Amino acid sequence: MERDHRNMRTRNIIAAIILLILGVGYAYLTAHLPSRDIANTTDPSFFPWVLAVCFLVLSGALLFQTFLPVDLGRLPSIPAIPVSKYAAGFVTFIVYMALLPTLGFVVANILFFAVLMIIYGERRPLWIAAGSIGLSLVLFFLFREIFQIRLPAGVLGGIIT
Amino acid sequence: MNPDILSGFFQATMASTLGATAIGSLLGLIVGMIPGMTISTGIIIVLPLTFVLPPDISIALLLGLYVSGMTGGSFSAILLNIPGTPSASATAIDGHPLAGSGDAGRALGIAVSASFVGGLFSFLCLFFIAPQLADIALQFQAPDLFSLVLFGLTIICSFAARSLIKGLLSAVIGLMIVTIGQDPMMGTQRFTFGQLNLVEGIHFLTALIGLFAIPQLVDNFSDMVRKRGEVHPARQFGSVLPKLADLRRIRLPVFIGAPIGAFLGILPGAGGPIAAFISYDYARKANKNPETFGKGAPEGIAAPEAANNAVTGGALIPMMTLGIPGDPVTAILIGALLVHGLAPGPLLFIENGDFAYGVIFSFFWANIFNIIIAFLGLRLLVKVLATPRALLMPTIALLCVIGSYALRNNFFDVYVMFAFGLLGLAMRWLDMPVVPLLLALVLGRPLEEHLRVALAGSQGDPTVFFTHPYSVLFLGLAVLSVFWSFYSERRAKKAAAVPQQQTSP
Repeated sequence: MERDHRNMRTRNIIAAIILLILGVGYAYLTAHLPSRDIANTTDPSFFPWVLAVCFLVLSGALLFQTFLPVDLGRLPSIPAIPVSKYAAGFVTFIVYMALLPTLGFVVANILFFAVLMIIYGERRPLWIAAGSIGLSLVLFFLFREIFQIRLPAGVLGGIIT
Repeated sequence: MNPDILSGFFQATMASTLGATAIGSLLGLIVGMIPGMTISTGIIIVLPLTFVLPPDISIALLLGLYVSGMTGGSFSAILLNIPGTPSASATAIDGHPLAGSGDAGRALGIAVSASFVGGLFSFLCLFFIAPQLADIALQFQAPDLFSLVLFGLTIICSFAARSLIKGLLSAVIGLMIVTIGQDPMMGTQRFTFGQLNLVEGIHFLTALIGLFAIPQLVDNFSDMVRKRGEVHPARQFGSVLPKLADLRRIRLPVFIGAPIGAFLGILPGAGGPIAAFISYDYARKANKNPETFGKGAPEGIAAPEAANNAVTGGALIPMMTLGIPGDPVTAILIGALLVHGLAPGPLLFIENGDFAYGVIFSFFWANIFNIIIAFLGLRLLVKVLATPRALLMPTIALLCVIGSYALRNNFFDVYVMFAFGLLGLAMRWLDMPVVPLLLALVLGRPLEEHLRVALAGSQGDPTVFFTHPYSVLFLGLAVLSVFWSFYSERRAKKAAAVPQQQTSP
């Protein structure tokens, strides 16, 4: 319990510092917003200023609270996941998004789907091939042909018109 | 009779709309019963499919999903003791023991019947209360509307957050995100950094997909969650049609649960889980044999199920009449309406009365399809519980990407969706609730607009918010909700501290 409390305190301190920096950054950007001189009308920066002040006050309050002898609550219950899986998922998504405009929704989706199947524990090659190709194609044609959403075909643009 | 009622009824009863409602109900039952999938995620996944459909058909499909998702959650709660949705948590207390004693069919039948009555009760509330409330809301002026939206935001924070400061911070982050793009009064670009993609701002649904779906995908990386979802339910569970004796027995708990659910549904932020547990508690107190609760009492299944389905209609009331979402699902429904160019609020009943009543009657049909599909397809539907996560999760990931892209045919939105996914994960790590952020994304723009219009109308005089009676009322309620939240937080922490002191040497 005590360890939970300490961990929560550390997280709150990190969060409060990051939020304070973000708040200052937001206030800085707000200060550089163009102003308009129209009678009885508030500036475009009016609402962002209100938010910047609220944000800074609340972030400060979060930081202040961590130094008070109050119960900061328990650590959130997050399912235990190995860091390698987090990293694999993150890298897969980043690579997929980078390749998506070039490869298009068919090829990129098949690769993405296959890698995700492996991350989610599937090891049978035939299942992975059938699942990734089958479901990616079904979704592509479902959206493109039935729902008329023009998903770019990328490298297969010459084949799929 | 109001002609809009009749045309709304016909609109909801057209073959295409009924078909969409039925499909939505089927999907809802499936989504609801899969542990690790929430109704919000289900709706987000289906949403891109509705972009090309007419608004009445889209909303009918989503309402079917919403209503049946609540019922579907009870299936896995009863069969596996794992609530498919948070709203079904209370159902598991008595549902699973009853199923364990060999009466799974009976437990499921009671849950479906109670859900149906709860849903119908909330339909009646929606039908009779919503137009009246819309009439009142028509009198609201800019200061009242600002105070109302502010109240909507504060009450959400007080319900959604374990820590008031974090809840408020989450809401302010949402409001700051809303300020990206053109300002609503003069069209001045704010925080766009010269990016053309940001001129129109961050699309609410793109943010939503990332905030809700990505953490869900990550959760399912966990072996524990994956194995939980792949448990095979009992194949045989006898007759699912409830007996007359059971129906008589659950009359009182259903009539306790339905009004509680509908009332708490109207209150923004209260939602299904709270309604289900409160109803369960009242049903136990009202029962002659309260000791049977927790051991498979049919009344313990009926009360929370009636309540969580009654929440659905209740939550639609503030959404349709005031444009204030009652829970995350109704916030997504607002987004869906906005995609179709329809803004929920009092004017919906004036400008699109037939559509508004169409939504209400689609909600009615969703409840009818819910009970029909649940009873007819229950044996087949529970087989979904055995769907391999390795197929389901990548499919959801693809639907999220396609859905984000399809909003504006833009790869940029896919990146934004992913960024919001990371934000959602970071917020969870900090125990910061995402619901206030989500609602701030929905309410942020009207909040700024009404604030600035009100100040322009009063030549910059802020006392305008304290001279309009409705505005004063909503501001008072907003202050009350923040104080109530503060008080509840302190009380909960004190209560948590007492057992610790007692156990410490």
